[in-house]
Amino acid sequence: MRCSLQAVALWGKKAPPHSITAIMITDDQQTIVTGSQEGQLCLWNLSPELKISAKELLFGHSASVTCLAKARDFSKQPYVVSAAENGEMCVWNVTNGQRVEKATLPYRHTAICYYHCSFRMTGEGWLLCCGEYQDVLIIDAKSLAVIHTFISSQSPDWINCLCIVHSMRIQEDSLLVVSVAGELKVWDLSSSINSIQEKQDVYEKESKFLDSLNCRAIRFCTYTERLLLVVFSKCWKVYDYCDFSLLRTEVSRSGQFFAGGEVLAAHRIIIWTEDGHSFIYQLLNRWAQMGAAYKTFSGLSKSIYPADGRVLKETIYPHLLCSTSVQENKGLSFVMGYMNERKEPFYKILFSGEVSGRITLWHIPDVPVSKFDGSPREIPITATWTLQDNFDKHHTMSIIDHVPGAGTVIVTSSEYVSSLDKLICGCEDGTILITQALNAAKAGLLEGGSLLKDSLPHKVLKGHHQSVTSLLYPHGLSSKLDQSWLLSGDQDSCVILWNIFTEEVLHKFFLEAGPVTSLLMSPENFRLRSDQVICCVCSDHSVALLHLEGKRCLLHARKHLFPVRMIKWHPVENFLIVGCADDSAYIWEIETGTLERHETGERARIILNCCDDSQPLKPEFALPVTSETHKHKSVEQRPSSSCQFGPIPCPGLQVESSWKVADVKPFSGPFNVLPVKTRWSDIGFHILLFDLENLVELLLPTPVCDVDPSNSFYGSEILRRAKSTVEKKTLTLKRNKTASGSLSAEAQAKPVSENPAQGENTAKSLGDNEGIKRQKKIKNSKKMHPKPSRKVEANITIDTAKLFLSCFLPWGVDKEFDNLCIKHLDILKLQGSVSLGLASNEDHFSLMLPGWDLCNAEMKKDYSKVNLFSKKVLDLSNKYTSTLPNQVGMPRGLENNCDSSQESNTLNTIVYLLNRLFSVNKLVNTPLELACGIDRSFKMESVHNKARIPGNEISNISSFYGYLRNGKSESHIPEADISLLKLISCWRDQSVQVTEAIQAVLLAEVQQHMKTLSKRAGNSQPVSMTEDVHCEMRQILQETEWTREEVELHCTTDTLPLQTPVSPVKHDSDSNSAKFQDTEDMPDRCVLEESESPGKPRHHSWIAKVCSCKLC
Amino acid sequence: MATAMAATAAERAVLEASLRFTLPCSGTGTEGPAKQENFILGSCSTDQVKGVLTLQGDALSQADVNLKIPRNNQLLHFAFREDKQWKLQQIQDARNHVSQAIYLLANRDESYQFRTGAEVLKLMDAVMLQLTRARNRLTTPATLTLPEIAASGLTRMFAPALPSDLLVNVYINLNKLCLTVYQLHALQPNSTKNFRPAGGAVLHSPGAMFEWGSQRLEVSHVHKVECVIPWLNDALVFFTVSLQLCQQLKDKISVFSSYWSYRPF
Repeated sequence: MRCSLQAVALWGKKAPPHSITAIMITDDQQTIVTGSQEGQLCLWNLSPELKISAKELLFGHSASVTCLAKARDFSKQPYVVSAAENGEMCVWNVTNGQRVEKATLPYRHTAICYYHCSFRMTGEGWLLCCGEYQDVLIIDAKSLAVIHTFISSQSPDWINCLCIVHSMRIQEDSLLVVSVAGELKVWDLSSSINSIQEKQDVYEKESKFLDSLNCRAIRFCTYTERLLLVVFSKCWKVYDYCDFSLLRTEVSRSGQFFAGGEVLAAHRIIIWTEDGHSFIYQLLNRWAQMGAAYKTFSGLSKSIYPADGRVLKETIYPHLLCSTSVQENKGLSFVMGYMNERKEPFYKILFSGEVSGRITLWHIPDVPVSKFDGSPREIPITATWTLQDNFDKHHTMSIIDHVPGAGTVIVTSSEYVSSLDKLICGCEDGTILITQALNAAKAGLLEGGSLLKDSLPHKVLKGHHQSVTSLLYPHGLSSKLDQSWLLSGDQDSCVILWNIFTEEVLHKFFLEAGPVTSLLMSPENFRLRSDQVICCVCSDHSVALLHLEGKRCLLHARKHLFPVRMIKWHPVENFLIVGCADDSAYIWEIETGTLERHETGERARIILNCCDDSQPLKPEFALPVTSETHKHKSVEQRPSSSCQFGPIPCPGLQVESSWKVADVKPFSGPFNVLPVKTRWSDIGFHILLFDLENLVELLLPTPVCDVDPSNSFYGSEILRRAKSTVEKKTLTLKRNKTASGSLSAEAQAKPVSENPAQGENTAKSLGDNEGIKRQKKIKNSKKMHPKPSRKVEANITIDTAKLFLSCFLPWGVDKEFDNLCIKHLDILKLQGSVSLGLASNEDHFSLMLPGWDLCNAEMKKDYSKVNLFSKKVLDLSNKYTSTLPNQVGMPRGLENNCDSSQESNTLNTIVYLLNRLFSVNKLVNTPLELACGIDRSFKMESVHNKARIPGNEISNISSFYGYLRNGKSESHIPEADISLLKLISCWRDQSVQVTEAIQAVLLAEVQQHMKTLSKRAGNSQPVSMTEDVHCEMRQILQETEWTREEVELHCTTDTLPLQTPVSPVKHDSDSNSAKFQDTEDMPDRCVLEESESPGKPRHHSWIAKVCSCKLC
Repeated sequence: MATAMAATAAERAVLEASLRFTLPCSGTGTEGPAKQENFILGSCSTDQVKGVLTLQGDALSQADVNLKIPRNNQLLHFAFREDKQWKLQQIQDARNHVSQAIYLLANRDESYQFRTGAEVLKLMDAVMLQLTRARNRLTTPATLTLPEIAASGLTRMFAPALPSDLLVNVYINLNKLCLTVYQLHALQPNSTKNFRPAGGAVLHSPGAMFEWGSQRLEVSHVHKVECVIPWLNDALVFFTVSLQLCQQLKDKISVFSSYWSYRPF
């Protein structure tokens, strides 16, 4: 994981599509969780007044979500489990949106039920799952590992739905399921816990054929403990739980399909349909009419009350009391649920989610009654909301909204060129906008940024007549290609090669093959007559190969019957291998353009797996931001699922992260824009990514003082200069590269390309070889960039740093503080709150939605327009300040150069702040990796019997301290830092989010800095009273702190070498993957092993050692 | 509107195609017990193993396996216990996937009109997913490890019980019903052979080793016999046809929707 990556989402005006496939309300009735066809989960805030507002979008699944369920006792841990079409399962913490656990099993679940029996069970409980497999799986709720199965002895089949019956009367929990063939089965639950834990076979206790297909729900009436409601798609039935005798069948009207039901109260049920209607029935029978007398009867066992099956059957009949319905939208499929809460502050809620993304709630009265004339009463809709409502309410901006002339165009494709800091957007009307990404982002986010609107440099390329569907900047993928080239493909299958600097059309390719869905480039090792080729995938399933230098189409492969899923290159034999959605493979000979082979089934799979340099098509709405180091994991998990089911068409697993491509680029900068496109629609949005580590690295080694920061919001002047230097630089680079390239190949015969100066260069190249190599090496190492680019990048880097600070500073908490920030840090204020992205480990990601900050009820009262990530931040910040060393006695590095100009001072402050934030970020993030690292290293040891080199770790720690201590003199004692370190380590244990920690530290540090600044200004600016008090308090606190620290200090230093092998972790995971590949034959087991031991206790013991202070 | 009409028309075609594909067991119980079919499994190369399997819907209701051991000219015969049936999971899963697909297509009103192309695309995606899975279940038999085969319930189905040096596995591969018989011999504990347990495979080759209980075993002979099931062949053809129909419908819709957005500048 790139732990130093921070993300800010720039949503457009349109909300991303969210076709709800699963919905649930958490037990505290504060959050609605929905799962979508696109693979995301959405958290919606539900206020006590039953107002809905979208809060957060969770990215984690790469396929449609099939079901949601709670995964813990909700009052203890607010965890929810989600399962996806491709076998992925995730456990999420729904209060902060973090992913807690993840597993990919070769099972597709359609329903999950949480079961915990505290007095018989150790652990966190079970998830009872059913789906597209036989019988019921028992999965551990904590580790998501399969514990065992409930097996049926008679006609085992897939299970459609299940419910847990908890009966006071019998004192036994039972599991009731209905199979796809319509067979009702009952397992003893609580009494078989032991046998399950001992892995003995548990067979069903009873089984009965229900004579209907497509069961949608089974519910037990806990009020009477007698009735069983079973909803099928064409009818619903009521059974007597005692002997499963049928009491009543109610068939649906024509065109009406039942989707579920629930028991509201004794003899009162609610049934809902697939098109969003619901009906509340009173089940009338003899007992109910007997009124109070019934109660005495219901307690009697069946033997006392004889033969009532038949009697009941004649007397029970449903009477429609109320109904609910949605307007319009007839026929769209709905997912619905009902929440029955009897406690006071809670409501009885019927809820539904639509494919269109709309959520509707009905408040069901405690005693639903029909109208006076006996006709059913209509219950009105209490609340309804969509994602788009959030977007409309909070006026979101897309990244190009401030580009003059962009106005209302819809961006259909976009690409970010990090080397030029250019964002290229293809629009619906066929124009291509090119703008400076940083400035555009600023204009969109910051308050004063609107001033930039008019001066925002941009270019418009006009050439397409239809919406631009795909873009490719070849130089970004291979530096050998011309820097001015840009390729764009449109709806009309026209591909244009542009010169982006001169804005002219170099060539138009007409493919006549429907919209161009994606443009790819052949890998480095594949070349055709020394050039890389461009591959166009079109929506008529054809693939065209374009040769840019020759400006011609080499091959147009048109035989594919199904959409192209994968492109592979065979460099040796010049083959293009195309994998299609139906698992077939086509092998094309590129030179002749003939179809060499067409294979299906097993053979196709082998062919597609044999070449490593696959080029899967771009992800649709999969967020691969943080996935690169863990990618091997998903890849290696694939065989585990295919061993049972064969290849599952799950795009996410095959998709390679586009971010990875960006990472490999020679210019992977500290700032990046990730365009995200959604599935089944044109709507997309952009994510700004800040790489803190890179940012610090760029700023740190030689803090660039010669740049005037006031100029750093660079105008077009500097821009032009910058561009020209970049051009010059890459020219020389290119020259060098071709020279060395021609050396390594046979190469003097290489065609002289566009650069006339190259001739003499090649001649000289032999002699230069050594120097070139060195230069290349320098270029590769991140820390030392070649001189010419330094200045240009410094501008961008500083601007990036400022934008980053602007996004993270808690604006609006304190007016004075804001002004000081603007003045001293030379940054601009945010317009509103930002939509932050939060990466929980691995490839999971959550993005705040516009208006998320207003969801928090308590925050709404105090701060209306405040960029505060949570209320916790202020407390954390205070804690941090109190741990800070006493500023008076210890001047910091940044305060040393008092006599230098204010600009460089500002810059130093920024560098210092970023540095701090980076180390905080690292600290908060480390333990996860640390835990993994230890875990894995142990596994490594067991595998290879190799001890690890301790020196490695130690050096890491020292470098780690280097980060913390940076800017201070060597003589400076590190105790203060250790206490800070301890504090922050504790935060992460209290599950403080990275963003919260960063903001808290930022706030504290900036406050501190401002104070020293104002002090130095001769105490002319009176420090506000509160701050003074604050200060004193802090000092007192510190004093106590110091004494305590003295005692702890050596113990801390003793234990420290145990911790933080930061870089070895990465190495481990790599070799780990190697190990996995070795044992690929048993991937299931590997996955299990891995998920079983998250190394938690170990990490806790470490915490206890390092941090025994009561402060945290 | 035109798209909606086209959509419903093509959807009917898909439905027809999937309905025509009827596995002889759909709807257990409603039409009485499925009819029994006998298949004689053999291989063209050897006649060491002969099997007669009786398929009743998705379950093996009877099995007779004859194994000739040339070493001592012994003829072994095993049969299923009378009361037992063995579910062929692959057929059951394929059937369930198809019925899911049919359900997806059928659970709307006759008069229902699709409103947007995207709606149909999503439906087609869901249907194709089910159809692809159904096909994949038949085309890719499970890769099992030898201990998994030894532990499977199939070995316990026979009367008299299988001797400890025999393993049996039954699976579907494409349109064929396959029966494999593994003959085993125990590895001596002090054997110089390098013990390396074999991983999962559809068909293990002689020499594959595994650990079962406290014993280390090695496969000495493998016999594979098979027989084509005609209706599985039909099913596979129908899967392919309906998948292509669905894809064509999707293609048509995308063509139409690109016309909608067409603006003659």
